[in-house]
Amino acid sequence: MARKDRTMSNQMGMPPRWAEFVLEHILPEGDRQSVTGDLREEYAETMLPRNGRLKADLWYLRQLLSLSPRAFSGQSSSRAAVLLVSFFTFACGCWLALMECVLRHPHYVARAGMDITIALVPLTTIAVVCLHLSVRAERWLWAGAVGLIAVAVRAFLHDVHSSHFEGFVLLISLTLAVQGIFMLLFLGRAGRRQLRHGTAGSK
Amino acid sequence: MAELLGGFEQAVLVAVLRLGPDAYGRTILHDLQKSLKRTVSAGATYTTLDRLENRGLLRSKLAEGTPIRGGRPRRYYALTAHGVRALNEAHETLSAMWSSIQWPAKIAR
Repeated sequence: MARKDRTMSNQMGMPPRWAEFVLEHILPEGDRQSVTGDLREEYAETMLPRNGRLKADLWYLRQLLSLSPRAFSGQSSSRAAVLLVSFFTFACGCWLALMECVLRHPHYVARAGMDITIALVPLTTIAVVCLHLSVRAERWLWAGAVGLIAVAVRAFLHDVHSSHFEGFVLLISLTLAVQGIFMLLFLGRAGRRQLRHGTAGSK
Repeated sequence: MAELLGGFEQAVLVAVLRLGPDAYGRTILHDLQKSLKRTVSAGATYTTLDRLENRGLLRSKLAEGTPIRGGRPRRYYALTAHGVRALNEAHETLSAMWSSIQWPAKIAR
């Protein structure tokens, strides 16, 4: 299917399918159709005939990057905050897993596994927030958020009571706790909004 | 008091005024690049259009899209009365400011 889309987009002088997909998901709902339409028109009528496919694709990619900060602006500040914190926690989890694999301390495989599990929670959050996934996925996020806070509190208490105090553990536990709290707040708000819309729709 | 408008905001408002009924994202982007003589990103243009609309200086409406857009609608922009007033005030302020200087400007000794 993806191959068919790619062939179609090549034949018809359309921008790369994946770039358009990303753009559609980062733009606010009201602008989604008109902005992607404008860019598609410019790509097909000006950039492609004038500069060839490679340069036209690079132009499209540049426009995508210039529009990407709009994912964090938009109507909901809680959405932006959740995305920002999720990206940060995801990067932290990946970095920790990578370091475990490089340093190879005892039980590094189990620790790296746990780091990857931690990184999966914000990744799921990003997917749910950006791709508007179902409530079923959001239920998993509730559990994930509570899990993150539990891991954070445990790491914090362990660090405070240990004889060898480590600053980075404190920093990561605080980050995880903030991520968990943000997720709980966001999910609570999203749930209330959904309930309101559901009630309004049934009237 | 005159509405405070940034340089790029003024350029966008002038582009919308100049294009009249043909002012939508793509034509505004072209007009800006032509008048400013530099490459302008879509991100900067749409963000400014949004901001100006939120401030009540522009209004927009959706119209049917063409086949090349895959049927996606065009968003046409127009100046509001408030926008025209703000642009006039900005022009008056700038004209008064520029006219008090002798051109071309020279380094004061």
